[in-house]
Amino acid sequence: MDSKAFAGTLDSLGLIRDYVKAAATMAGLDKKRTYDLCLAVDEIATNIILYGYQAAGLSGEVVVRAEIDDQNLTVTLEDEGESFNPLQQTMPTEEDLTRALEDRPIGGLGLFLAIKGIDEFKYERVRGRNRNIFVEHLPPATQTRETAQA
Amino acid sequence: MSFSVSSQITNDVARFFLSGELDASSANAFRTEIEKVAAQKPKQLVLMVKDLAFMASAGLRVLIFAKQKLGVDVPIYIVSPQQPIIDTLQMTGFHHSVHIVNEYPE
Repeated sequence: MDSKAFAGTLDSLGLIRDYVKAAATMAGLDKKRTYDLCLAVDEIATNIILYGYQAAGLSGEVVVRAEIDDQNLTVTLEDEGESFNPLQQTMPTEEDLTRALEDRPIGGLGLFLAIKGIDEFKYERVRGRNRNIFVEHLPPATQTRETAQA
Repeated sequence: MSFSVSSQITNDVARFFLSGELDASSANAFRTEIEKVAAQKPKQLVLMVKDLAFMASAGLRVLIFAKQKLGVDVPIYIVSPQQPIIDTLQMTGFHHSVHIVNEYPE
């Protein structure tokens, strides 16, 4: 699919999910995995917008790209916000996840849902840009023979 | 799909009707509705979510806010959630602290 640039504002979240949903449909992902991928991308995009841009006093775009090959659907988010590697953040522990809501810290769940909800998550910092990469492995029955690239 | 939320209180039971997609751009509307209702000190919180198609962690944070605002003695019922939302509640352990039910008596 052609890459697409979205304004780095919360209003873009629905549009970003629409793009990811279209890519997942094209790749033949089932409903649950499509939802999980949309959720993962939404969580990271939210983080980019709120912390990479807004909290840092910056503005910019979130560029989304989807690539489909024989084995994977790969969605990439790129931004020019503050450097932020989700994989270096502390994830909620098993103990945190069983705590009563009134005893819970308010943060940390978004990255947890993003990273745990998909097959692979990678992060790169390339030429001053954050690159968050989401990979879903395609089941053999739905692997496509065609490759779509930006 | 845009998000909408409304609420009503009857006999100390606060019902919220949520539909659409609840993400970081719409969570404030939900939180504001919770704050409005919390002032009336309901004894139960009931979220009617059959038509809620998507919920990000921003929605979970509002649930934490609601529990902390209303207190531990106010149970939260989540009525007829779609399967992906049940999955999110289970994955994050929220199902230990809220009641997920198919129906809530009128």
